[in-house]
Amino acid sequence: MQEGKSVRNHRKIRKSSKVMFLFTLPTVVLYTTFFIITMMVGVYYSFTNWNGISKKYKMVGLKNYITVLSDKRFGKAMGFNIIYTILLVAFVVLISLLIAMALNKVTRLSTLFRSVFFIPAVISMVTVGLIWNELFYRAVPFLGQLLGIGWLQTSLLGNPKTAMFAILIVNLWQGCAIPTVLFLAGLQSVPSDLLESAMIDGANSWQRFRSVTIPYLIPVLNMVVITQVKSGLTVFDYIKVMTNGGPGQSTEAIGLLIFRHAINEGKFSRSVAESMILFLIVGIVSAVTLRFTSKKQVGE
Amino acid sequence: MNKIKSSTLLKTLSYIFLFLGLIIILIPFYLTIITAFKSSQESSLNFFAFPHSLYWDNFLGVFKKANYFMYFKNSAIITVTSVCFILLFIPMCAYGIARNMKEKYYNFIYVYLLAGIFVPFQVIMVPLVKYLSKLGMTNIPGLIIMHITLASSQGVFLLVNYIRTIPRDMEEAAAIDGCTTFKAYYKIVVPLMKPMLATILVMNALWVWNDFQMPLLILNQSPDIWTLPLFQFNFKSQYTYDYNMAFASYLIAMVPVMIVYASAQKYIVSGLTQGAVKS
Repeated sequence: MQEGKSVRNHRKIRKSSKVMFLFTLPTVVLYTTFFIITMMVGVYYSFTNWNGISKKYKMVGLKNYITVLSDKRFGKAMGFNIIYTILLVAFVVLISLLIAMALNKVTRLSTLFRSVFFIPAVISMVTVGLIWNELFYRAVPFLGQLLGIGWLQTSLLGNPKTAMFAILIVNLWQGCAIPTVLFLAGLQSVPSDLLESAMIDGANSWQRFRSVTIPYLIPVLNMVVITQVKSGLTVFDYIKVMTNGGPGQSTEAIGLLIFRHAINEGKFSRSVAESMILFLIVGIVSAVTLRFTSKKQVGE
Repeated sequence: MNKIKSSTLLKTLSYIFLFLGLIIILIPFYLTIITAFKSSQESSLNFFAFPHSLYWDNFLGVFKKANYFMYFKNSAIITVTSVCFILLFIPMCAYGIARNMKEKYYNFIYVYLLAGIFVPFQVIMVPLVKYLSKLGMTNIPGLIIMHITLASSQGVFLLVNYIRTIPRDMEEAAAIDGCTTFKAYYKIVVPLMKPMLATILVMNALWVWNDFQMPLLILNQSPDIWTLPLFQFNFKSQYTYDYNMAFASYLIAMVPVMIVYASAQKYIVSGLTQGAVKS
């Protein structure tokens, strides 16, 4: 009797584990076929001199990587991405934290503010980029004339010196929506009795913010920094839609450079090498930010 | 007294700041709407003024010159199919992993799938085009498969952590009562996963609907299979001279998402923010 039951249970477990295995199969197969293999194909091509079209190509070892790393255009694109990312992270944190703090202060109309501030997060980057593209040509110069500011009177996108900032403005307009909600949730997680007791102890509002609120915001801050770093290093849609890298090559980010080399300029294998270097950089930067930010949390 | 004063001051400042923000967010929408309803002469007189009367020709122009409904249909088919498969495959896989974490195979595929989170799309962008065209998949089914594939890392991560918080007791009890594994999953686990499934649904639906890079690479060569973002991108380069019509096209492209946002705001906000927190 006892034995029979255990045999039946065993059979059931074996059957169950078979079903569990089948459960994982579709995802694992798709991921392997279309993600892992694609990546390995990329690694392979990065060691060849294939231009993307010709029938013949040969292995060239590390030549593509050497070319890329000594390429001025790649260096310039990298520089663009680094400056852009630093500015993006700093302003996203600053603006969304300020909005969240203001939202946390007000009671009336707060639902309206919140629903409106979140709208940009649901629209496609293409639509946002295209609309702002027109506004930079038609609305902003008018504002510049009205206020008598010289550099605002022509399109910010048409000037190599200001084009990056124009793209950054658009990115901030859309990109602050989700961080704001996250910071607001962080602010609301601060226990109010802790703030009250700090107030009774005579801490002023800055001291309360620094020693009580900020420690509660650090997990959110970490996340916002990491996601924004990734989005800054891989920025593509806005640039493709608004400047396509121009004027000159002043807004040619790495993502766009890879795209151009591969699709328009027939430097296929070189563009793959570029994307592998981008992968390495994103990986290192993510690891460093993760390290740095988690240390800070412990230090608090 | 002083404290109360400074707190009202802070409150007033907050309101001023928020209203300023409101204006900055809304102005592009205002200008899009009014420009879409003006003729080009009226716009050139005053770009910022409210239209005298509603001018519908821009919209007619968009519908006539471009097959808007076809692009809408393409986007809808791609989004619905991708999200259905994402919600079918990924929770199953996550369930298998979450309930067998101690076994080598499941532990391995968990790490294997998570590794994808750290790889930016641009890394596989270039080889992907060659690979898919070799397989004859630079078409809508190919794009759908890529969406399902690229959703798996984050989806598995979110769901595995969620399922591990659900106790096994009920599934075990059901198994003793003779319930099959599949039935236990479908009848017991899926209903318990609903909040996280809603997050996955919202995140992926918006991502697929708004995606630009992948359609640009996979579908751009034949206009019949363009998605809405591709249509907007290409429409702009074709009709740069008529910006009123361009604005009409942006407005039409925004409308579907705005309707969904207005009707399911709570789920969308929580879905998008939760997805961001945990990835």
